[in-house]
Amino acid sequence: MQWHKNRDARDQRIEAGRKLSAGKIVDAQDATRLLEAVICKGDRVCLEGDNQKQADLLSSALLAVNTEFISDLHMVQSGVVLPEHLDLFERGVATKLDYAYSGPQSARIAQMLFGGKIQLGAVHTYLELFARYFIDLTPNVALIAAVSADREGNLYTGPNTEDTPTVVEATAFKDGVVIAQVNEIVANVPRVDIPGDRVHFVVKADKPFFVEPLFTRDPAAITETQILTAMLAIKGIYAPYGVKRLNHGIGFNTAAIELLLPTFGEALGLKGRIASHFALNPHPALIPAIESGWVEQIHSFGSEVGMDDYIRARSDVYFTGPDGSLRSNRAFSQVAGLYACDMFIGSTLQIDLAGNSSTVTTTRIAGFGGAPNMGSDARGRRHPSEPWLQAGKEADPAGLPALRRGRKLVVQIGETFGEKNVPLFVEKLDAIALAEKLNLDLAPVMIYGDDVTHIVTEEGIANLLLCRDPDEREQAIRGVAGYTDVGRGRDKSMVNQLRDRGVIQRPEDLGIDPLQADRNLLAARSIKDIVRWSGGLYAPPSKFRNW
Amino acid sequence: MSVSTNTAPQATGARQVSWYEASARTRVSQLLDESSFKEFLGPQEREMSPNLKSFDLPEQFDDGMIVGRGLIKRMPVFVAAQEGRFMGGAFGEVHGAKLTGLLRASRDIGSIPVLILFDTGGVRLQEANAGELAIAEIMRAVIEARIAGVSVIGLIGGRAGCYGGGGLIAGCCSALAVSEQGRISVSGPEVIETNRGVEEFDSKDRALVWRTMGGKHRRLIGGTDAFVDDTIEDFRETALSLLADTRPFTLQTLHEEQARLEWRIQQFGTSADAIDIWRSMGVDDAAAIPEMTYAQFTAAAQKIRRPNHAAR
Repeated sequence: MQWHKNRDARDQRIEAGRKLSAGKIVDAQDATRLLEAVICKGDRVCLEGDNQKQADLLSSALLAVNTEFISDLHMVQSGVVLPEHLDLFERGVATKLDYAYSGPQSARIAQMLFGGKIQLGAVHTYLELFARYFIDLTPNVALIAAVSADREGNLYTGPNTEDTPTVVEATAFKDGVVIAQVNEIVANVPRVDIPGDRVHFVVKADKPFFVEPLFTRDPAAITETQILTAMLAIKGIYAPYGVKRLNHGIGFNTAAIELLLPTFGEALGLKGRIASHFALNPHPALIPAIESGWVEQIHSFGSEVGMDDYIRARSDVYFTGPDGSLRSNRAFSQVAGLYACDMFIGSTLQIDLAGNSSTVTTTRIAGFGGAPNMGSDARGRRHPSEPWLQAGKEADPAGLPALRRGRKLVVQIGETFGEKNVPLFVEKLDAIALAEKLNLDLAPVMIYGDDVTHIVTEEGIANLLLCRDPDEREQAIRGVAGYTDVGRGRDKSMVNQLRDRGVIQRPEDLGIDPLQADRNLLAARSIKDIVRWSGGLYAPPSKFRNW
Repeated sequence: MSVSTNTAPQATGARQVSWYEASARTRVSQLLDESSFKEFLGPQEREMSPNLKSFDLPEQFDDGMIVGRGLIKRMPVFVAAQEGRFMGGAFGEVHGAKLTGLLRASRDIGSIPVLILFDTGGVRLQEANAGELAIAEIMRAVIEARIAGVSVIGLIGGRAGCYGGGGLIAGCCSALAVSEQGRISVSGPEVIETNRGVEEFDSKDRALVWRTMGGKHRRLIGGTDAFVDDTIEDFRETALSLLADTRPFTLQTLHEEQARLEWRIQQFGTSADAIDIWRSMGVDDAAAIPEMTYAQFTAAAQKIRRPNHAAR
């Protein structure tokens, strides 16, 4: 019996690659030849495509390989973000895909799935895909991206560490080969994010890896309806449950919440009582709340373009390394969001009558990313907290307190009619039609209805914890669905009863006059205001400027 | 923790309302003396575009143009304001005709100046012929009003900027005031990029857009007479001072304006970027201009060799 075939094979691959390297360093122009030497037909390859950071040089290099030698790769990567990621399948370099998120490529990936160009394993959440890296989707080769490397291969990822430690852990310790592209080779890296003995080759890229500013929401685009939903959420959910530990989605409704904390939240006397600990990317919109002393601590999945200097100067709030810059880690932050946060609040594209929600439309498959991890009840959670216990009590008032599970607050927030006047509420999710069309066992549901505890629209808050049967749940949802077809299909008397019981709360029930929802309530009404709040430390990317 | 709280935007009083943020109606009502505005052809008359229906597009009762008269520090003025949030403030048949009519009234009366609150992307594509005609009629009406001795002042600081035909009309005005957020140009960023390529002009590079078309650049190269802070109050004060400065409009004025523009293209025609222009004008730290606050910028702008603004 041979017990180290994989290690021997790994050593052979490295040996083949060494012909092209000086030490661990490989010229950018030899990148494709390196990949041809190291990768074998049918390999599982993680081409680091994170939510933000992209190993773009290695993507192009992989796309250029000779398909006589390398084909039928099985790509296992969290983000399908660059056009090259899908070109690999057009060219036949890769055939099989397991992934988590495909934001900018969501339309093309749908087309290619319909056209049979991609064999889909599954669409995952981040944590799920990371977990499978250690069980049944372990990469043979990982192609990763970092800011700098030294000659030993020690890597500095900069603020966008993101998925890298997880990918390297799974690959390097299970006989895989790790190849890093770096922006520069230096004598000493500012900090070691990945120890050099886990990195086999380093390619210096001609230009810095691509990072997309995904988490910047321009306050100028926040509408008064969104402000109203934010006021309802703060006064109707954050305050009564006393939510301190939470995660926010990336939409404009939650950006409005962030910008109302120092104004509306302050006026309600909530500072110190809510929204102090976050699992959150460094959202620029949170700067006014941080500067006003609301926020104690933030752990981040990734970073955000333009936030580096601000983060560096606010190390009491963010996680930073010995070099002073942010250390993010997607896997740890996802775990933090799942187990250590009492609330997730985010927007979605479609909600059905049971509260299931989805961002899939019939032409786009955006994937899940991390929302389902944030927006689900962690059944393995055992530590109590006030909001968690309170939510558990509302769901099961008769249960024995010592044996009653708490519940995470999972809040969906949005306007009854979203972008382009498309209704948020539907009888049947587009995701179901898609699953039928693609013959999937599971429809891609972002957040299952049984995890959702509250739905907030400009019409009010529906507290689904207080619903006792599916009928009540449906009417509670219809009751906040406004003038959409779903809303107009409500049973008026039942909705009135639900309102009497506090299952549905209208703005006036919470003492909120919709006319108060004014843009003057926002602590910052423009990106420039945010720059001012940051004392000039926030440097917004050019696409967000109007000066 | 309150490192910069004192520099942060504070809650704002009524007069401190942002021009950029405000609707056209808010701008008009707060620009003028309280309750002095009397609207002509108001929304209750429902004088709407005859063309949008055929495109299945929503209409607005005032067609995105508000015209009327009012008082500013008790001085009578005519006012026209475009609503940039309706079709990007674009000129259509009715929208344009309301402004033409207002300008002709000012010409006939001869003593009441006109304030035009531009907020427009140019001509409405859905009624392009009518819109283009409207631009021509308005330009003629501005010139006729000025010949009759009436000042026509343009105020620019809205979200849509002042583009296309709006830029042409602005060029005919007696004087212009612009805020940092305001943009003045004829071809917009996307149009230039579409026609000349992204290498010529990257419309997504908003810093480039603003330093090429934005208020600070227009102020520095003499494209506008006044640079104002982004508050309705400052627009009001500036409009008052521009109204006080009435120069006659003659053939001589046009000759001088022609000479001024020729001088400008000679001076700066080969510059590849606005920063080069500012540098050649003697701005000390040209690259820092976009980041400057209103106060810092006005101080810096005062110091430089001022291009001849006198003509128009």
